[in-house]
Amino acid sequence: MSPRLWRYILVRFILTIPMLLILVSLVFFVMRMLPGDPALAILREGASDEQLAAFRAVLGLDRPLHIQYLDFVASVIRFDFGISMTRNIPVVEEIKTFFPATVELAVYGMLVTTVLGVFFGAFAAQHRKSPADYGIRVASIILYSLPIFWLGLMFQMVFGAQLGWLPVSGRLSPGMTPSESITGMYTVDAILRRDWVLLGDALRHLVLPSLTLGLVLAGIFTRLTRANMLDVLEQDFITAGRARGLRERVLVYKHGLRNAFIPIVTLLGLQFALLLAGAILTETTFSWSGMGRLIVDRIYDRDFTTIQGSILFFALLVAGASLVVDVLYGLLDPRIRY
Amino acid sequence: MQTVAMLDQVGLLRRFLRARVWHGAEWYITVLGSAILVTVATLTLLAPVVAPHDPNEFIGAPFTPPGGGRQALLGRNGEVRIAPGANLNGVVIGVQRNRNGANLAKRLGAQGVRFEDQQALLEGLKTGEVDLIFLDEDLGRELVASDSQLELVADGIGLRFLLGTDNLGRDITSRLIWGARTVLGVALSSALLASSLGIPLGLISGFVAGRLDKVLSLTMDSIYSFPGFLLAIAMATMLGPGVINVAIAISVIYIPTFFRVVRGQVLSIKEQLYVEAARSLGARASDILTRYIFPNVIPSVVVVFSLNIADAILTEAGLSFIGLGLPPDVPDWGYDLSKGHQFLVAGRWWMITFPGVLITLVAAGFSLLGEGLSEMLNPRLSET
Amino acid sequence: MADRSARGDLLLQIQNLNVSYKTRTGMVSAVNDVSLDIYRGEILGLVGESGCGKSTLGKALMRMLPASASVEGQVLFNGRDVLRYDSGQLRDLRGRGISMIFQDPMTSLNPVQRIGNHLSEAVLVHESGQAKSGLRDRIGLLVERLGIMRQRLPDYPHQLSGGMRQRVMIGLGLVLNPDLIIADEATTSLDVIVGAKLLDQLREIREEFGVTMIVITHNIAQVAELADRVAVMYAGRIAEVGSVYDVFDGPRHPYTRGLLRSVPSIKLEDREELYKMPGEPPSLVSPPTGCRFHPRCPEAMPLCSQTAPDLRSVVPGHLVNCWLYQEQPQQDAPGLRRDG
Repeated sequence: MSPRLWRYILVRFILTIPMLLILVSLVFFVMRMLPGDPALAILREGASDEQLAAFRAVLGLDRPLHIQYLDFVASVIRFDFGISMTRNIPVVEEIKTFFPATVELAVYGMLVTTVLGVFFGAFAAQHRKSPADYGIRVASIILYSLPIFWLGLMFQMVFGAQLGWLPVSGRLSPGMTPSESITGMYTVDAILRRDWVLLGDALRHLVLPSLTLGLVLAGIFTRLTRANMLDVLEQDFITAGRARGLRERVLVYKHGLRNAFIPIVTLLGLQFALLLAGAILTETTFSWSGMGRLIVDRIYDRDFTTIQGSILFFALLVAGASLVVDVLYGLLDPRIRY
Repeated sequence: MQTVAMLDQVGLLRRFLRARVWHGAEWYITVLGSAILVTVATLTLLAPVVAPHDPNEFIGAPFTPPGGGRQALLGRNGEVRIAPGANLNGVVIGVQRNRNGANLAKRLGAQGVRFEDQQALLEGLKTGEVDLIFLDEDLGRELVASDSQLELVADGIGLRFLLGTDNLGRDITSRLIWGARTVLGVALSSALLASSLGIPLGLISGFVAGRLDKVLSLTMDSIYSFPGFLLAIAMATMLGPGVINVAIAISVIYIPTFFRVVRGQVLSIKEQLYVEAARSLGARASDILTRYIFPNVIPSVVVVFSLNIADAILTEAGLSFIGLGLPPDVPDWGYDLSKGHQFLVAGRWWMITFPGVLITLVAAGFSLLGEGLSEMLNPRLSET
Repeated sequence: MADRSARGDLLLQIQNLNVSYKTRTGMVSAVNDVSLDIYRGEILGLVGESGCGKSTLGKALMRMLPASASVEGQVLFNGRDVLRYDSGQLRDLRGRGISMIFQDPMTSLNPVQRIGNHLSEAVLVHESGQAKSGLRDRIGLLVERLGIMRQRLPDYPHQLSGGMRQRVMIGLGLVLNPDLIIADEATTSLDVIVGAKLLDQLREIREEFGVTMIVITHNIAQVAELADRVAVMYAGRIAEVGSVYDVFDGPRHPYTRGLLRSVPSIKLEDREELYKMPGEPPSLVSPPTGCRFHPRCPEAMPLCSQTAPDLRSVVPGHLVNCWLYQEQPQQDAPGLRRDG
């Protein structure tokens, strides 16, 4: 790797820090500084004064705001998200337990999105202004207008209740225990432990949730791919290639995609945020025990520290994903590498 | 000056009319989206007139399927001789525990007696405790056919619910129509809030540039990259329930979008030669902003606004689904969906299907409108 | 030096070619009833103002026009009509029978593909199953002949200078030893010096490889320097065709005359104004009736606005599309009004 590339990565890394700071501050603002008393917002009416006071004490809400802020930032750097108010274990532990499930769902969902999005987007771009193109565009709009949880419910109804083909909740059937955890992702662990029965069960449970998540996001991704592909296919080098006798298929799917992929990769960063957002709703619908479900459950439980910690964690993820995407971009685009 | 202004207006109208010829299918997409929206908007505005019932009234039997609701009057075989239209004063009618039956009995002038469930109701009829009973029409006919003790006195009584009722016996059609007001209201307010902050910030940031721009851009980019729904959840949690709070929570997500689009436009327009020319002729900054930049920014803003509303509808539904949405007495599609979730297993599909279809339809309508407009206003390379 | 007007046999015969586009404003008649012969081994310059249809004509020869264009007529390449080729024959033709050199070398090269790969891919598409080492040598030799060092082959386009990129483009046009090269505004995006070098190179290529060339440009001076014959186009039609000596020393068509007059010369005397042809190029959606140049022609006759002339020989090898040099139709022929 050339020194130019190293410098690029370093610059990107440094630029992530202010972004991170802003995100952390944003969370602080929302969780502590919004009008109204956080204690009351969380504990609601009916909480006794002692409860409210105890709440404030634990979180240090009585201290001056700037002290709170510095403490907040410091704790984030230490990865100390506090103790769960309802379970009494460190929030970090909770996150460790629930995060792998979200990753698993996200990965398979992303797979669906990417395959569908890239294929249909490229196809639509290649056959611009044809009925197929318009059909794909309208279909994508409808897809991402679907409420994710509603699509999930419809799937549950049709494939679960009526047809009975696929399981509708959870990650495994009752009675199945996951293999000893290495990554926490059941499918990966099952492969590593060669437990094929478990793999099958886990995959069956993954089908509906990842389809739900993947389809809705595919609506957006198809649109983005199509737009980028259109830009690329209009470029002169495609025409020049055609003048040399290259096949349309090669031009679109090899040269076109290869060029379009670079801006698409940066869009994957945006996709990541959408993925996380969508995961929350999907997990709730399918009773999938991941981070999304964690947040929603703890909102019911009024477990402030876990809620706050999870949101912070997501913020860190987003910043990290942004960095990864930037680096990927640098690796993919030879104009940066050389 | 007057003439110039008039020419602009003419240009716009001409452009709209020629749009169909010029843009072909995009035009149809936009029109389709607009048609959906106009229909929904009309329904919304005419809600008091169009909705058959009050959305919060427990008007029918719980879990009435779509098209159902009609009751039949059953009696003991051979005993009852009642002419249609006769006064039923003094007659005792057994009803199930819902207002529909009791109201019907009252309207007929008879006395209503409540029973816990269907079984008890039939018992009551057979033992003579009541003279007649009200039952769901289809069920009533079935029972009369199979049980010789029973006789059908009259049917087709009462209300028919086009889309059925929910778990509390509320008419779904009415809830949907009234719910449109809520949903559109929240979505529109959040879009207005977001644009009222995002647009000015974008204008200033793009125009002034420099340090301010750098700081604002970084901030907005960071917020933009944060999962929007999560932000909405956080804000909704901390702000508490209520229509206004939900609107605020949702609007924060979209401020960066308006900011970015407007700022981008401002930057590209600033570079244009005609702006440089104007500046060299001594035009003031405020003039340039209002005369050159703002009018050119409007098309993009309209597009973002439309897409914003589409997204806000979905976000609001999502918030309701997790229970962070509006209070229960406000009819809301997302709320209906969340309530209906539990009853899906029992096969009551209509509680979630119709709200979902409507959410999709309206969100798609705004998206189609936004996308179509976007293509028409900023066309990609033309054919030749 | 080879006699610039010597001709080989007929390589390409364009017959009654018509190209029209459907646009939002209407049907554009970009190329109208063009017939042209191109002889093996010659360099034909195709000149005209922007929008006269020369690029469209060039692209039509390889069927590189967008799908919205409708093409009629015949393009006989080595006796076979290109316009009737199926997609397989077309792909074979492109690059191997006829190749094209494009205007902007930066955008005409794939930014994520190495230079060497550009060339080897072109070869492999047409001659599959080439041995790797043989291919590498062949390409290496070719680029060196063009003045590019072999070591630059693994580079990406953005790493090369503008002139080198143009040489790569030429290489892509040559690598399959085509019979005909169409250079579409190849020097337009280059600065003067680099452009001059390119012209030299094109000349050398013709000398060395014997390749036939159509050079499309709006720069008349270049054509005068490089080409054997020149065809002047106006508003989708050929105005005049002939050897560069005949046409530039003795232009016949009023448009050609105006064109040559308007080229600024270093010998411009003080006070002598630059000549500008009156009027504007016409709209191709609703072109003028009859001869398309008549609204601007200083020698227009009433006939010119009614009927279009044909491209006819004035002297052997020099054809002009103008009523001044043709027998005008009889005055009492049906459908024609009298002069006056």
